[in-house]
Amino acid sequence: MRWVLSSLFFKSPFENLQKHADKVKECAVLFKKAAELHMQENYKEFEAITDEVAKLESEADAIKRNIRNHLPRGILMPVDKFQFFLYIREQDKVMDEIEETLFWLSFKEGSIIEELKEDFLHLIDLVIKPVNLLSPLVNGARIYFKTHFDDDRNKVKAICRDIRQWEREADFVEKEIKQKVFKGISDAFLVFYLIRLTEYIGSIADHAENASDMMRAMIAR
Amino acid sequence: MLVETIILVCASLVGFYMAANIGANDLANAMGTSVGSRAITIKQAVIISMVANALGAVLAGGHVTNTISKGIINPQLLSAEPNKFIIGMFASLLAAGIWVNIATYFGLPVSTTHSIVGAVIGFGILSIGISNICWGKVIPIVLSWITSPVAGAVIGGGIYVFVERKILRSKDPYKASLIYSPFLIFLVFVVLILSLIFKGLKNLHLNLNLINALLISVPVAGLFGLLGRYYIKWQVERHISADEKKGYSLVESLFAQLQLLTACYVAFAHGANDVANAVGPWAAIFSAIKSKSVALRVYVPLWMLLVGGIAVGGGLMAFGSNVIKTIGENITEINPIRGFCAEFGAATTILVCSRLGLPISTTHVIVGSVVGIGIARGAGTLDLRVLKNICISWLLTLPFTLLLAMLLYNILIYLIF
Repeated sequence: MRWVLSSLFFKSPFENLQKHADKVKECAVLFKKAAELHMQENYKEFEAITDEVAKLESEADAIKRNIRNHLPRGILMPVDKFQFFLYIREQDKVMDEIEETLFWLSFKEGSIIEELKEDFLHLIDLVIKPVNLLSPLVNGARIYFKTHFDDDRNKVKAICRDIRQWEREADFVEKEIKQKVFKGISDAFLVFYLIRLTEYIGSIADHAENASDMMRAMIAR
Repeated sequence: MLVETIILVCASLVGFYMAANIGANDLANAMGTSVGSRAITIKQAVIISMVANALGAVLAGGHVTNTISKGIINPQLLSAEPNKFIIGMFASLLAAGIWVNIATYFGLPVSTTHSIVGAVIGFGILSIGISNICWGKVIPIVLSWITSPVAGAVIGGGIYVFVERKILRSKDPYKASLIYSPFLIFLVFVVLILSLIFKGLKNLHLNLNLINALLISVPVAGLFGLLGRYYIKWQVERHISADEKKGYSLVESLFAQLQLLTACYVAFAHGANDVANAVGPWAAIFSAIKSKSVALRVYVPLWMLLVGGIAVGGGLMAFGSNVIKTIGENITEINPIRGFCAEFGAATTILVCSRLGLPISTTHVIVGSVVGIGIARGAGTLDLRVLKNICISWLLTLPFTLLLAMLLYNILIYLIF
C-alpha cells in the first residue's frame, strides 16, 4: 500500500548534484598529482592517472545525464530549473577542462621548462582551491534549501565569495606566467603550447567561478 | 428474526470494513506529514489518531443524521419497501468500501464522502428512478474538486510564506520563533476553538454567531498563546544549551510541538466529518430493521460512533501503519516546519470553507496544502504530474461507486428476492 503524498515528492536532484561535486573534487586531487608526475617526467604514472581522471569524468557524466533525464516537465523545484541546469553544466565543465588539460599535457613530454615549474604548480594550487570548494558549496545549498535560514544562506554566499577570490588570484598568476613565457621563450611552438596550457589550467577556475555564480543566482531572493 | 440478525451482522461487518478503509486511506494522509517530519513516531501517530478520531466521532460526529442519503435521495420514497432501502444502503456501503480499499491500495487519495454519495446515487437510480435523484446536490461535489485543493494551496502556502519571512529568514530564528510561536499557538487555538464551537459542540445547540464565537475563542486562544510562550521558553532554558539556541534543530523542535497540536486537530476533524460516512448508512440499516420503516433522519447511537471511531483507528493501525512507516523513512522533504504549515493550512481551510458553506474534502485539502507550500518554494522537489492521477481518481470516484453500487444492488436483489 502506498501513501499518495509520498508520490508527490520527487527525489531531490541535489543528492546527485552532491555526488557530481564530489567526483569533481576527486578529479582535482588527481589533476594535481598528474601534473606533478608530468613535471617529474614520470610519464607512465602520469598516463595511469590521466586514465583514472577519464574514468571519473565518464562517471560524473553519467550522474549529470541522470540528473537531466530525471527532471522532466511538471517537476517543481525549490530553485529555478533553468539555473539548476546551468549550474550542472558549469560544474561538469570543470571536469572537462581538467581532462582537456591533462590531454594537452600528454601531447608533449618535458614541455614545462624548469624555470616555470614552480609557477605552474602555484597556478594549479590556486585553481584547485575553488574547485575543492564546489562540494561544500553544494552541501551548503542543500542545507539552505532544507532550513531556509539566513545563516545557512550566508554560509553559501561566503563560499561563493571565496571561490571568486581564488579565481581572481588564479587569473593574476595566469597573466604572470603568460608574461614570463613571452619574455623568456623564443621557440614559437613552445610559446603556443605553454600559453595554451596556461589558458586550459586557468579555465578550470573560470568554470568553478561560473558554477558559483549560478549557485548565487539560485539562492537569490 | 434470523434473517434480520444475519443482515445486522453483515451490515456491521461492512460498516466496520468501510470505517477501517477510511482509516487506512484518509487518516494515513492526515497523520502522514506528522510522521514524515518525525514530529511524532508511528506508534504515537496511531494512538493519537485513534483517540482523537474516536473523540471527534463521539463529540462532534453527527448524532442525528440525515446525511446517510446525503440529501441526494429522499428515503421516504422507499418507505413502502424498507427492505429495498436496507439492501440499497448495504450495497452502497460495500461499494464505497471497495472503492476506498482499491484507492488505498494504489495510493490514491479519494474522498470517502464522494464515494458514499456516488454509491447512494447508484442505488437510488435503480430503486427510485433517475428522475427522483436530486442532481443539484452533485454540483457541490464537482465544485469541491476545485475548491478543496485551491483553498488548501492558498492557505497552506500563505502560512509557509509567513513563517519563512518572519522566522526562518530572520537574523536570529530562535528569537524570532520565541516571538512568533505564541502568535502561531494563538492562531491554532482560534481555529481549534472555532471548530469545536461550530462543529464539535453543535449538539449543545449554542447557536453562536461568528462574533460571539470569536469573543470566546480569541481570549482563550490568547491565554494559550501566552502559556505556550512561557512553556517554550522554560523548556528551551532547561534542555538546550546556549550554542544550540541558534540552531535549526531548535526551531524544528518548536514546530514539532506545534505540529502535534494540528495533528490532533486533523484527526479530530476527521472523526467528526468522515466517520459518519461509515456509521451513517450502518445506523440507517439498524434503524430500518428495528422500526420496519424508513426514516428521513436517523438517530446514530453513541456506541456506534465510538465503534466507528475505533474501527477507523484500527484501519489506520492495520493498513495505514505501513504507509506511515514508508513516509517516515522515505520522505525527508517534510520537516516539522513544512508539516505544521501543511496541517495548519488544511485545518484552517476546513474551518473557513465549512463556515462559508463551500464543500471540501480533508484529503484533497491536505494535498492542496502540500502543493501550495511547494509553489511557495518551501517544499522539496514536487512531482506535479502526480496531480493528474489524483484528479483522475477524484473524477472516477463518483462513476465507479455509482456503477458498483448498482451492480451490487442488483446482485443482492436477485439473491434475496
